[in-house]
Amino acid sequence: MNIHRTDFPHLKWSLLILLSVFCAGGSIIILSHLFVTHAQTKQIHAQHQLNDSRKLLASAIQDQENIKAYSFEYIELVKLNIIGDDQRLDWIEGLEKIHQQHLVVDFKYALAPQHPYISPTPLDSGNFGLNMSDMTLQLDLLHEGQLISFFNALHSGIKGWFILDHCTLERSANSGSSTQLKADCGGGWLTLKNSTIK
Amino acid sequence: MLLLSAAHCQVCTWQQGKFSAAEYFADHAEGHKAFAARMKICRDHVYLLTDLVEEDFRHETEPHLHGKDRTAVIQRKLEQYYRNTPFRQALTLQRRKDGRHDDEMLFSALTHPELITPWLNIMAENCLPLAGIYSLPNISVPLVKNISSDYLLLLSWNKFAGLRQTYFDRKMLRFSRLTPIDDNSSFSTTVGTEAVRSQQYLKNLSMLSPEHALNVVIICHANDRIELSKNLHDDSEIHYTYLDIQELGGQLKSKTVYPDSDTTLLFLHLLASHPPHNNYATAEHTHFLRLLTIRHALLGLSATLAAASLLVTAAQISEGYSLDEESQLLTFKTLLLTKQTRELINTLPITSASATDMKTAVLLSRKLNHVFPSPQSLLEGLGQTLEDFPNIRINKISWQSGFVESVAGTTPPQKMSAGTLPAQIILLNGELEEFSGDFRSALDHLERFRQALIQRGYSVTALTLPLDISSQGNIAADTCDGNIKPATFSLKILWQAAT
Repeated sequence: MNIHRTDFPHLKWSLLILLSVFCAGGSIIILSHLFVTHAQTKQIHAQHQLNDSRKLLASAIQDQENIKAYSFEYIELVKLNIIGDDQRLDWIEGLEKIHQQHLVVDFKYALAPQHPYISPTPLDSGNFGLNMSDMTLQLDLLHEGQLISFFNALHSGIKGWFILDHCTLERSANSGSSTQLKADCGGGWLTLKNSTIK
Repeated sequence: MLLLSAAHCQVCTWQQGKFSAAEYFADHAEGHKAFAARMKICRDHVYLLTDLVEEDFRHETEPHLHGKDRTAVIQRKLEQYYRNTPFRQALTLQRRKDGRHDDEMLFSALTHPELITPWLNIMAENCLPLAGIYSLPNISVPLVKNISSDYLLLLSWNKFAGLRQTYFDRKMLRFSRLTPIDDNSSFSTTVGTEAVRSQQYLKNLSMLSPEHALNVVIICHANDRIELSKNLHDDSEIHYTYLDIQELGGQLKSKTVYPDSDTTLLFLHLLASHPPHNNYATAEHTHFLRLLTIRHALLGLSATLAAASLLVTAAQISEGYSLDEESQLLTFKTLLLTKQTRELINTLPITSASATDMKTAVLLSRKLNHVFPSPQSLLEGLGQTLEDFPNIRINKISWQSGFVESVAGTTPPQKMSAGTLPAQIILLNGELEEFSGDFRSALDHLERFRQALIQRGYSVTALTLPLDISSQGNIAADTCDGNIKPATFSLKILWQAAT
């Protein structure tokens, strides 16, 4: 069927209605789509907030458990000056006290400057930096038991954490002296420094 | 609905089987003027039914063709038979079963267009959507469908046009003629006379063979039937059958009450309810109907678009509200959790370090304690073993922390991977006191010492023994020399703290 220009007046209202419906329909679809998109964004944001809240709660619960499980030991570490800067004066005073106790015949020590400690085994140190102040010890002993007593005293009598890395114990060459054994040991004072605390 | 006869045009509206009161317009200037006024207020589509004497029928057999060829043949035939009228059509009746299987066709036309054109012009001026131009014989076919007669002459009466006789050969329209009824003769007399005339006419044209009787079916009112049956008598060549106009209307679901045998409204109802596809109208005549169809299609499309838009919008708004409700619920849960978290945090003690740092520091110290054991725990087992072997004299002992793949290995101290275990490596140098030169006894003694250490959890490897009795070893001795060399040895001992 051919449609001529003269037929347009017969179709104009129908065409106008179609055009109007098309525009109006398209508009409300676009507006409703925007509404849905906005609602989706809002819902996603709310979901993220909920997830964050869950994580915070889980973290708080974890903190509660950690404090319950580790706070006592941690306080002990703080009291022993293991957490924080090195306390060389405490160590020297402690060594002097041991000397006065005459647990060994005699001993000499040498403290080296502090340096970052690199563990031979992988360690999860978190926010903590490990520092070591190397110390060498030369001890004159009457018997092996004195060495054990010395290190027990070092461990329990001084605020700090001495790690014994190696030791050599041998009979004294000079049989005339009272000293029976000589010990040459090496280790260091380990401290943990929390990098988040200024 | 328009019924056009020679002198009148009858107009009425049809709605759900009911007709409005008929309006009649005579075929002259005044009638046309009134008709034009009537058409101005008409906006529905229009069916035009003609009941005119000037309608011609030609039965032809044509080759069975398709597409353009068929159209060309039909067009040529129509031009040949009915050059002077645009109101013409071709109807395929059937395909022959014999010979070339040609098509049997019926060509028909309204041969006096001047009778129709003025009415059509008025309708066109008023842009009236004309559905089609039909003739009464053409729309009669459904009436004979259920009549079991092969040679049938259908008689119907229109009070303005006259007596219409339509002949059906095996239910296929073949011929029709209209006879005006004389005012001086009765309906039954005219029927009897004209039926016999038609029979003779059909026989003359060989449309009805002599051996076949003609079944004359008369549509009439019950009142007229009595008179008709009195005057008309069956014989061997002609049989009369009567169709009650009211019953027939009922079968066609017409709600009209027929007061007499006038079949005008019956045929108009038949046309309105069963309009045939074929009609005399050309594309030009039905132009405004097509425009109306397009308008309806556009409005339908608009309605569909509107409905679809509303549906989509409703679905999206519903989804949006659903999401909004979900967001509100999530926000409420978040608030609850935040409150719970805040309450929990308030119960926690104030510490100088975070809980995580506390855990890290404690676990770190535990691990390092494990890596570097105290000398007491390291040497305790060794000292106890030596008490059981008083003739073993230790000259030198040294130890160092290290890492080995396994305590049974002899890997020297070095930095190891995370999977390795921390261990202490002890090197022990000593000699057997009161050694008399009995190497067998000395070696046995040292072996027992080694086994004793192993039982206490140490892993022991002999580095040197008083006598190297392996196949690769060198052994030298001066049998004249009476001095006995000391039975020295060295052991490598690995010790690992219990996990």
